[in-house]
Amino acid sequence: MDAIAPMLPDVDFAYDEVPNLHELIEQLRVFGPVVPVKYLGAPVWAILDHKELNQAFNDLEHFDPGDGYKLISAPSMGLTIQTMSGQEHLNNRGAVSALFLPLKVRSYVEALIEPIAHELMDRIAGQREVEFVQGFSRPFPFTVITRLLGIPVADESMFLEWAVKLIDFPWDPEGALKAKAGFDSYMQAIIDSRRRQPTDDFVSRLISVELDGKKLEDEPILAFFRMLFPAGSDTTYKNAGSLFACVLSDPEIRVQAMRGDKERAAIATEGLRWQAPTAMLPRMATGDIKLGDAHIKKGDWVLFGITAANSDPKVFPNPRKFDPSRDNRELISFGRGVHFCLGMHLARRELETALKVVFERYPDIRLKPGSKVEFVGGVLRGPRELWVQPYGKA
Amino acid sequence: MQVIFIDDQGTQHFVNAEPGDNAMRCATDHLVSGIVGECGGAMACATCHGYVDEAWLDKLPQPSAQEREMLSGCIDMRPNSRLTCQIRLTESLDGLIIRVPDSQT
Repeated sequence: MDAIAPMLPDVDFAYDEVPNLHELIEQLRVFGPVVPVKYLGAPVWAILDHKELNQAFNDLEHFDPGDGYKLISAPSMGLTIQTMSGQEHLNNRGAVSALFLPLKVRSYVEALIEPIAHELMDRIAGQREVEFVQGFSRPFPFTVITRLLGIPVADESMFLEWAVKLIDFPWDPEGALKAKAGFDSYMQAIIDSRRRQPTDDFVSRLISVELDGKKLEDEPILAFFRMLFPAGSDTTYKNAGSLFACVLSDPEIRVQAMRGDKERAAIATEGLRWQAPTAMLPRMATGDIKLGDAHIKKGDWVLFGITAANSDPKVFPNPRKFDPSRDNRELISFGRGVHFCLGMHLARRELETALKVVFERYPDIRLKPGSKVEFVGGVLRGPRELWVQPYGKA
Repeated sequence: MQVIFIDDQGTQHFVNAEPGDNAMRCATDHLVSGIVGECGGAMACATCHGYVDEAWLDKLPQPSAQEREMLSGCIDMRPNSRLTCQIRLTESLDGLIIRVPDSQT
């Protein structure tokens, strides 16, 4: 699509921090539901309106995510349910989905999610000021995954380095492949040990999964583990930061968050809409299609504008108001269709638990007066940092 | 035709529908509390679980293997559990009663 000049040519949605993303979206929306923008220095399409984005998520003929993911993630991540299509995708997803369905995820809350939240709250005890992203929202979902995988606490930081590096393949192929080697040999030892002596943990359950009557081989299991970090940790931590930025800045919502599970679920949902962690999801078109007024060609890159669709005033009136009581049935943060986020239930329980435990432990917690919260990132988006005072004024 | 949803608050919703509609969409279009259908009807989210009234069970086709797999991961699954996104309405289902579970999560 080289011939089409991007709107807002001074803004690159991959490289720039776009703290004013929501304003930029509204400037772009005037030109139509699907517009050309700049991404990685080149023009791509951005889908902005809810109707068109919903259509694209459900249209696997023209927007099969597999082809794009094979290019940008498969070299370091391997072949995962993100790179698979059709029956192969359904079979592989079906084989692991039980581990992420409501019944199983409910059991993780008490066994895993709440204790980890408390552990992290213990670590900030006594501190007058804490940077909440590094102190809580980042390690929280990451630790849920490392504990699910049976990784000892002492190895968590080494593991975090690998996990972060794995997704850097497009701009640091050597680093990403080196991280992959470290990650794989470490996880292989855990897989081997569970094969010899199964327990009832997550790894053992995955090892026991059968696909077409056969147990999974090592590589598909490793690929699944590699995917867990970008899919389940980076997203949730960005969103947890945004969520607390909102809740702590509004006394009324904070009172609601302390009230009960239903209120916390509604607040977490509104947080997912108001500042979705995956603001724009890159996909490659797999067929020619006219969407809105845009003539998208096979092979064009397309940004799925989740943040833009979540703020489409035709679907969410007064969209920039943080209002947990609004009708959020059309929330599109977890995508749509057969590739709908597998970890949605886990992510929601983590966010709800975070609200519960943080206010239980530090009922007076507040944003540090005078510190500015800035949300950044055109692809993954969350607060750059979030300074809080756990004990309030004291 | 009509479908009757009894939501998680015990409220009855008499929802007008057309043959060919899917039951999940009828519920969400009429703001039936407790049916979410977040993936849009692709059997990928397990948030449209409902209990089909026993009297109507044998009028519905059996759930597919994929639907049964998803149902087994829902909270409080029962023999009459269905994903409502997989119930395609027909004239013979006029008056169908679906109860919404206390919680999808």
